[in-house]
Amino acid sequence: MLAAAGIAVLVSMALALARALLGPTLYDRILAVNMFGTKTVLFIALIAALVGRGDYLDIALLYALINFIGVIALLRYHEVSAKSGSEPPA
Amino acid sequence: MIDILLLLFLAITAIAIVRSRDTVTAVMLAGLSSLISACLFLLLDAADVAFTEAAVGAGISTLLMLSALHAVAPTKTRPRKVAWPALAVALLCGGLLAYGTLDLPPFAAPDNPVHQHVANHYLEQTNKEIGVPNVVTAVLASYRGFDTLGEIVVVFTAGLAVLLLIGRRRQEDQDDDAK
Amino acid sequence: MSPMEVIAAVLLGSGALLGVIGGIGLHRMPDFYTRLHAAGVTDTLCSALFLAGLALHFGATLASVKLALIFMFLMFTSPTSCHALANTAFASGLRPWQADSKGSTPPSTP
Repeated sequence: MLAAAGIAVLVSMALALARALLGPTLYDRILAVNMFGTKTVLFIALIAALVGRGDYLDIALLYALINFIGVIALLRYHEVSAKSGSEPPA
Repeated sequence: MIDILLLLFLAITAIAIVRSRDTVTAVMLAGLSSLISACLFLLLDAADVAFTEAAVGAGISTLLMLSALHAVAPTKTRPRKVAWPALAVALLCGGLLAYGTLDLPPFAAPDNPVHQHVANHYLEQTNKEIGVPNVVTAVLASYRGFDTLGEIVVVFTAGLAVLLLIGRRRQEDQDDDAK
Repeated sequence: MSPMEVIAAVLLGSGALLGVIGGIGLHRMPDFYTRLHAAGVTDTLCSALFLAGLALHFGATLASVKLALIFMFLMFTSPTSCHALANTAFASGLRPWQADSKGSTPPSTP
């Protein structure tokens, strides 16, 4: 059961990765990286359940925090540099 | 099986970083590859390394590179032609290295040559000689203390140099504003 | 299997399925804003169901408390980052594709 859920999460990660590579605009890529990060948090929690060690969940918690901060930092960078031009970047 | 899939993701991300035409995209994809590396470390049972990789590679490194990109204009490059001789040399070297790994002993087998000499001494004598229950800490801080001292000196020097450079740039900006 | 394991399996399965649906939605939707809907909504719900299933799998230990913490954090930050993303995209000039704009194909169909 856990293995099947793990494979589904990996499939979802592959789909998000494909959108990060394809996505015509930059915002598609940021969205895909955000989704990949959330799926990685789920994947790490799943590995913690598979191996049986509960302390791997600390890494999942850390990554959930860092994913959020990273995405907001990217968006602030774009907000500041978008004020000087009005083209949606690629 | 999962290892192979994650390594495949890592390879695809690395190719995408090289072929991306925008620096911000490259920074984001580098964060993504750090994330996949953290998953791989976790699968290899190294929790503290995965912790550090997730925090530093996907968090701090991305933020630092973004704030560095702030100071320069955004760049977009034209698509370049593939340098075929360089690609051939890289593939040849990688292939030879992969061929060399076929001769390695099985991973983490207890009778590997590397586990026979000093590792046994550390594992048996740590409690008596050092008294710290965690063997990794005992090796890093006591048996190999000079190596750790060298690392700290290097990191401290690098941090000091960066602070001096940024301090000088901020001084110049203030002088320019005051004029 | 005990009822707890059955419920845990159902939660894990539906969470994983939602994750895959969100991933497919990223590819089938024509425009960035519609993709944002697909990814954002399914992401949050998928994490909620998945973490609930794992918490039932672990039982009543410290690990379940940590999973509850991760769940609370994701519940607060995932919609926030989607909103911030939509806000920044709109503020930098990206407009939603509308069916009556020039040309009949959306700008970024696969």
